[in-house]
Amino acid sequence: MTFTIANTLADVLVALAAGARPIAGGTDLVVGARQGKDSLPETLIAIDRVGELRTIEAADDHTRIGSGVTHSMLVSDPLIVEQFTAIADAAALVGSPATRNVGTIGGNVMNGSPAMDTGAPLVVLGAEAELSTTAGSRRVSLDELWVSPGRTSAQTDELCTALVLPNPPDGAGSAYVRLEYRRAMEIAVVGAAAAVTLDGDVITAVRIALTAVAPTILELADLSGLSGRAVDESFFAAVASAASEQAAPISDLRASDRYRRHTIGVMARRATEAAVRRAQGEVIDVPVNRALGVGAAS
Amino acid sequence: MAITDLPEFIRADGPDKVTGSGRYTADMTLTGQLVAKFKYAEVSHARITNLDVSAARAIPGVFAVLTADDVPDLRYTPVIADRTLFARDVVRFEGEVVAAVAAISAAIAEQAIDAIVFEYEALPIVTDLEAAVADGSTLVHPDLDSYVITGDTPHEGNVATHSSIEMGDAEAAMASADVVISSRYVADASHAAPIEPRAIIAQWEGDKVTIWTSTQVPYDARDGVCETLQLPSNKVRIIVPHLGGGFGGKCGFHFEAHIAALAKAAKRPVKLVFSRWEEFVAPDRRREGMIIDVTTGVMHDGTIVARTGALLLDNGAYSADATFFPQAAAMHVAGPYKIPNIKIDSRLVYTNHQPSGSVRAPTAPQGCWAVESHTDEVAAAISMDPLDFRRKNIVHTGAIGPVGQTYDEIGLDQCLELATKSAGWGNELPDGEALGIAVGWWPSFAASAGAFAKMHGDGKVQLITGANECGTGSVMTLRMIAADELGLDQTDIELVYQDTAAAPVGPGATGSQTLLNHGRAVETASRQIADQLKELAAVHLEANADDIVLSGGMASVAGTPTVSVPIVELAAEAAEGDLLLGSASAPVHDSPELFGSTCLGDQDFASWLAPQFSCHVARVRVDKDTGVARVLQVHTAHDSGTIINPVAAHGQIEGGVLMGIGQALTEGTQYGEDGRQQNAGLLEYKLQTIADAPSIHTQFVEIFTPNAGPKGAKGLAEAPNVATAGAISNAVARATGVRVRQMPMTAERVWDALTTSAREDDS
Amino acid sequence: MTNTIELTVNGVPYPVSIATDRNLSGVLRNEIGLTGTKEGCDDCECGACMVLLDGQPVNACSYLAVQAQGREITTVEGLASGEDMHPLQRNILATGGVQCGFCTPGMLMSAHALLERSPDPTLEEIKIGLSGNLCRCTGYARILDAVEATAVEINS
Repeated sequence: MTFTIANTLADVLVALAAGARPIAGGTDLVVGARQGKDSLPETLIAIDRVGELRTIEAADDHTRIGSGVTHSMLVSDPLIVEQFTAIADAAALVGSPATRNVGTIGGNVMNGSPAMDTGAPLVVLGAEAELSTTAGSRRVSLDELWVSPGRTSAQTDELCTALVLPNPPDGAGSAYVRLEYRRAMEIAVVGAAAAVTLDGDVITAVRIALTAVAPTILELADLSGLSGRAVDESFFAAVASAASEQAAPISDLRASDRYRRHTIGVMARRATEAAVRRAQGEVIDVPVNRALGVGAAS
Repeated sequence: MAITDLPEFIRADGPDKVTGSGRYTADMTLTGQLVAKFKYAEVSHARITNLDVSAARAIPGVFAVLTADDVPDLRYTPVIADRTLFARDVVRFEGEVVAAVAAISAAIAEQAIDAIVFEYEALPIVTDLEAAVADGSTLVHPDLDSYVITGDTPHEGNVATHSSIEMGDAEAAMASADVVISSRYVADASHAAPIEPRAIIAQWEGDKVTIWTSTQVPYDARDGVCETLQLPSNKVRIIVPHLGGGFGGKCGFHFEAHIAALAKAAKRPVKLVFSRWEEFVAPDRRREGMIIDVTTGVMHDGTIVARTGALLLDNGAYSADATFFPQAAAMHVAGPYKIPNIKIDSRLVYTNHQPSGSVRAPTAPQGCWAVESHTDEVAAAISMDPLDFRRKNIVHTGAIGPVGQTYDEIGLDQCLELATKSAGWGNELPDGEALGIAVGWWPSFAASAGAFAKMHGDGKVQLITGANECGTGSVMTLRMIAADELGLDQTDIELVYQDTAAAPVGPGATGSQTLLNHGRAVETASRQIADQLKELAAVHLEANADDIVLSGGMASVAGTPTVSVPIVELAAEAAEGDLLLGSASAPVHDSPELFGSTCLGDQDFASWLAPQFSCHVARVRVDKDTGVARVLQVHTAHDSGTIINPVAAHGQIEGGVLMGIGQALTEGTQYGEDGRQQNAGLLEYKLQTIADAPSIHTQFVEIFTPNAGPKGAKGLAEAPNVATAGAISNAVARATGVRVRQMPMTAERVWDALTTSAREDDS
Repeated sequence: MTNTIELTVNGVPYPVSIATDRNLSGVLRNEIGLTGTKEGCDDCECGACMVLLDGQPVNACSYLAVQAQGREITTVEGLASGEDMHPLQRNILATGGVQCGFCTPGMLMSAHALLERSPDPTLEEIKIGLSGNLCRCTGYARILDAVEATAVEINS
């Protein structure tokens, strides 16, 4: 087994072309290996010191989040908190302070778990994954990237180098909330992200995605009927019932399918309510879960 | 004596623990030590058809592989001898040890485990308590009648012990009651879950073995090794390095004999360190699941006239120390109430689950949760405020309890008033929030415990005690007692503890007994030295020894502090003559007499020495859309007699409350259809985090209690774990208007209760 | 494969030869001999193994030792200055925030990182900062007291 610490992206891509596997924080890889899920790959290349992967860059029409950006960095970055607030909401809830220091958004995305907290926010904010090899880069939608639990469509020599998001228009707001049984060290039982754009009191765009209620992150379909509507109780009720109807949850030791189907509606509604309030200019601290007491918190 | 007379608590093991220099068992390494690993059954019930370890033994680097064939063929455990060290013929739960390996590395030990051929024929599993006691059930121990069973332990089929408490004529009184309320409550199993997973190292020198182990009860561990490996007690030495918590999970005798046997076979020291999964599934200490049916007859004026109950307790596959549980549970379902007519029948039932055993106040949190929830239901049925209903019915000084015990001075009524006042009972709260009350009780236990004390020529003291410090600080508190007797500073006293070769026997860290029993032994042993010092001082000061007081390092004449001699001078003098030595054994108090009650299968758990009382009031907020409940505040008041060490006492309450919140809301073992634990890890078995911790407000009702511990103290480590879940249950019910009848009262269960109630309202 | 690397722990460089798949907590406890870092689980769920990497708390049980090369590793043994305990160590003893002590080293490391980052934290910030460290003994009340007392001490 060989282990190399890379300092440049070019070194990483060459190593991947030669069959190495990338390791960022390594938490999932190390824990998985010890628990006998998968043994560690033969050749590892550590990418956590590649500066090019650890930046958040704003351009005129889009923002690029390097794949090596940790959850802690996301939560403390003013641009993410102000413009891509749902991502900050989610990043602030991941694991514990220690796992947030080590875990990266790229690692999360490439793990392809339907329970990942940052997944639904990325979807509703229209993120694409940038996959790179020595030959160049391509962008794929997250829908294309996530194939099934723990599996992505990326090739083994491709590194996720960034998540690229269109800059939200004026009047936009987003939020992520999740159901949690305790206030820390949790994994999402169900979660929901919402991104809305308002023109006055009228919804001009709305996207909602759900965590842990399907084999991959599930974006709600057929929401076009909700655009052009005023923000009112019937709008939120429609969001909640769409989420409960479209979810395809399973029963496991964390919750029954019945309970998940109900609570996903509650989470979708609360995420949308918070997103609307933010779109209206209200500042709700990150994460919404702790600011508003979702799940009786605070 | 008042608490203010005692010095501030200085934790002798503190610097070691905060600087990282303190060694816990897993931190130790002996030259040449091997790594131990166990082969577990990983099936809930099966007949072994083939167990072949020859391939494992042939692996280079493997020094020993043991099975039942390699150790004495006998069954053990304290009351019902139903267990063997290694599975023999049949395995009865997933964590049963089939074989043990000692190898030069963890990787080779794992390889050896994988090379063991273990084939079996699956047997039907017993997991449902009601099915287990029905006719025709599969029997977990078909040969139960042939086992050695001590004491009055009625047993039949899958029932390991059948006990009751009974007084008056419950049936007739029930028939005469104005209102009769029946409730069923079900509690899931849960875990002690200390943060330190257990570790053991064994090393032989000739025919003697030294075992370093993370046990709460070194003498029980020693006796277990002696019994199962057929060794005399003076050949087995148990040393406990710093212990990383226990909560009952590390009581009893577990794996010390396996590791000693491996070390003997391998002719090398052997070390075992448990993974978190092992810590969940293998020990025979788990908080028992329970089904509780309780019925109360009450008059319109609020007087309870009768209570009946039927309890089923999940024993798991082997009995460990759980044989007293049925009667203990019955006492909690009776509760600290004046009930003249009572009949509670209680059965401990074998299943193919992990064995149950004493976890912090065994049976109490579940029993109290059920009966206190039921109490609120009874009060509601006669439209009485829960506080007023308890005021009317709880036991007080001079009252007769549910088994005919008359209580000396006790403070439950004061606890009830203090805790409810502190919480603001009756004040308006925001929507979704409510307060809930529960009262609880727990006995103190007297047991043999000894202590040695010696004062050296420089005036420094060593206390040699069989007490075991599992974190509570109760062993550390022994220094305060000795310092007080000897007129010295705590820092002049050094503790020698957790070594069975050095100290006289004692119960260890179990049953809240450390201060109660070891404290009395230390007090007497120290007083013996104090008396010797007074005799010496009397000569120096030309006074009567009875008039000498020891204080601030000086021996002086009472009332004339200037006429004094330094204790260190007296010590130096004694070092040249009659040495300053003390040795004492705490007398075992008799249990109080009971009048008018009859108890079937008496397990000595009906008569309670120096009972401790508590009232907890929880303030809870419930998110009615999701069922998530959150505890915002807990107000407690405890009667544990005199409080000697307030810092440690508050720490016990706070830790017990948080454990109670976990049990109430998030901690429950989930079993699959195969009878195996599905959430044997700290992500899915959810302890409360610091972010969940509510503010906890504690008051003590200090009543000097004779026939208890030193200075009138009672026990305290388990009592705080009794009433919290019941208080939360009542708060959840008041916040939501619905009753959750299964514990833990998870978010989904609360939501289920809410939706069921909404459906019933619609129909 | 064995790698010969250098790890800097509490300011001291340690040359060690270790396999790639070794976790940092195991190497700290065995090769380097600092057993203050505890292991209570093996998947970041208890926090007993918390150490600081360049000042940031990390679960050493789930971090490859080889990946810690070139970073400053701080363990509980590095908290005191010589014989003088860190105020957090003194205060957690004084408040009664230590019982069994098994979670204490990890708790102290999280608290230390928190106070370095945020010297005057709110109660909620302390709770979130320490939320990756489970304690079964104390109910956390006295641990919170100790961190608050330390914040007051270092700000005065």
